[in-house]
Amino acid sequence: MIEARNLSVAIGRKRIIENIDFQARPGELTAIVGPNGSGKTTLLRALSGDLPFTGQASINSRPFETLKPWQMANIRAVLPQATSLAFPYTVREIVRLGLTSGYSGAGSHDIETLPDRALAMVDLEGFSGRFYQELSGGEQQRVQLARVLCQVWQPVLDGEPRYLFLDEPVSSLDIKHQLIIMRIAKSFAEEGGGVIAILHDLNLTAMFADRIVMMHRGRVDAAGEPRDMLSDDRILRVYECALKVGVLPGSGAPFVLPQSAV
Amino acid sequence: MLMRTEFVRTIADGAGPQHGDRSGMARGVIALLAVLLIATALFSLTAGASDASAWGLVKYWLFSTELSQRDRLIVMDIRLPRIFMGVLIGSALAVSGAVMQGLFRNPLADPGLVGVSSGASVGALATIIFGGTVLAPAAAVLGIYTLPVMAFLTSLVTTFLLYGIATRRGQTSVATMLLAGIALAALGVALTGALIYIADDRQLRDLMFWQMGSLAGATWTKIAASGPIILLSLIAAPFLGRGLNGLALGEASAHHLGIPVQRLKNVAIVTVAAAVGASVAMSGGIGFVGIIVPHLLRLVIGPDHRYLLPASALLGSILLLLADAVSRTIVAPAELPIGIVTALAGAPFFLWILLRRRGIVDL
Repeated sequence: MIEARNLSVAIGRKRIIENIDFQARPGELTAIVGPNGSGKTTLLRALSGDLPFTGQASINSRPFETLKPWQMANIRAVLPQATSLAFPYTVREIVRLGLTSGYSGAGSHDIETLPDRALAMVDLEGFSGRFYQELSGGEQQRVQLARVLCQVWQPVLDGEPRYLFLDEPVSSLDIKHQLIIMRIAKSFAEEGGGVIAILHDLNLTAMFADRIVMMHRGRVDAAGEPRDMLSDDRILRVYECALKVGVLPGSGAPFVLPQSAV
Repeated sequence: MLMRTEFVRTIADGAGPQHGDRSGMARGVIALLAVLLIATALFSLTAGASDASAWGLVKYWLFSTELSQRDRLIVMDIRLPRIFMGVLIGSALAVSGAVMQGLFRNPLADPGLVGVSSGASVGALATIIFGGTVLAPAAAVLGIYTLPVMAFLTSLVTTFLLYGIATRRGQTSVATMLLAGIALAALGVALTGALIYIADDRQLRDLMFWQMGSLAGATWTKIAASGPIILLSLIAAPFLGRGLNGLALGEASAHHLGIPVQRLKNVAIVTVAAAVGASVAMSGGIGFVGIIVPHLLRLVIGPDHRYLLPASALLGSILLLLADAVSRTIVAPAELPIGIVTALAGAPFFLWILLRRRGIVDL
């Protein structure tokens, strides 16, 4: 489990997030949602070990401060929002960087084919010889996901769950690939790993998330299951937008249409 | 972002059984460059104003035949140290260029362009001029190492300043880096100018030649002084390869891959400063090797630093030996400073890189 207690981050004198209590359990896809500037990315960056914070944070019951960078890299992989490169690396060379920590969990026999399998998963079969810089933004994002998947290929290794941190993994993707990527994340969680994803699309969130953490002005507004979290009054308060939350017949899953804005 | 040429695409596509894997090709290129370097070094032994022959030398080494006193002097005390110095300096300049470009994540970062070489010059000049007076205590302790160590220290300060100015919260601004580099280089030129102004006539002629960059003054003593520092930086470089590949994704992503980013950056900066400082101490500023060599190699073997760094050392040595051969034959029996040769060839090449990137990648 990834757990944070009383977590605050200040950049300069400005407090970006304050007194966050946060949990992400293995076996679940935890979505962080909230309006622009609510502190979602700052929270994820603190949990990735990129930002100094006050308060406690632990991963599988081990406090962050006791873990070296390479030990963290064995437990969690992080997908950034976008990555641009200055040098002409091929797609394969980028995906192989995911094997840097040498703890992907694939057998030594499979390690050479791992980049190809990861690329096939993100629907980029046959792209390994292309130059990364030639690809579209959405394709680049999927190459980076393939790299991240290589880093923690086995969701559970030696009995220890591992984690994917995804910062807006589908923001630059078309609808088909949004679904493919969300299914990859979901199945990583179903196989025993943990997923933390920052998402903007409330419908994809409702469809795939096991738990939603709603951020508002640098604090956690509430956390819980999608059907409890997505309500008319909470969306009005957090997003300042009067939307009607609908309920899908059958599954009972909530959905939000922008057309319902009053 | 479409900046690739068909030429490069063909190379990448044809790179072995697994598409996009250029490591086999890179190893082949490194082996080829090693052979070429040996050939170039042998050629350099024979080329020059005197006609001391390579064959006489081979016979001398293999069969212990007699070598004339004159040939022995020319080969052992003039050409051989010169070749050693060319190899040391060429590899130092090319590797420091490649490491710096990896560190700043930009193919235009070159120690000569962004003021690191000027920084080293200040330390070296100060040692030449004040070695007998203000710096005498340091000179007493460091002996022949005073010059390279002083040049290393001032280039280290320059590199740290440059990195501190250009990088903020893990983001390196290329515009800031280049502009700060211009400012630091200008400051270095001003300081060296001031030092030259107070130099006496005896020092002045040496300084001018040294500043233009030349291998002409190669001696075993100079090599003994600067060589170890360069060798240390060349030994450190291979350990940077994996880390610099991760750093290409940005500092945060490198950290997420488990790379100790802060240590990597420190080692990279010290490596660059040591290589540049020691080579400037030996021969003055020799420009453009650090930008041309890694750029050419990236076109052929790709930017994987595990292969780029050793290949740069080899190609840098080869190019510098060739430039030196040109510099001492083109106006024979006189010599052109080698810095002029590399600048004449390198500056147009640098403009070509800029033209290729213009409008495609934001500088």
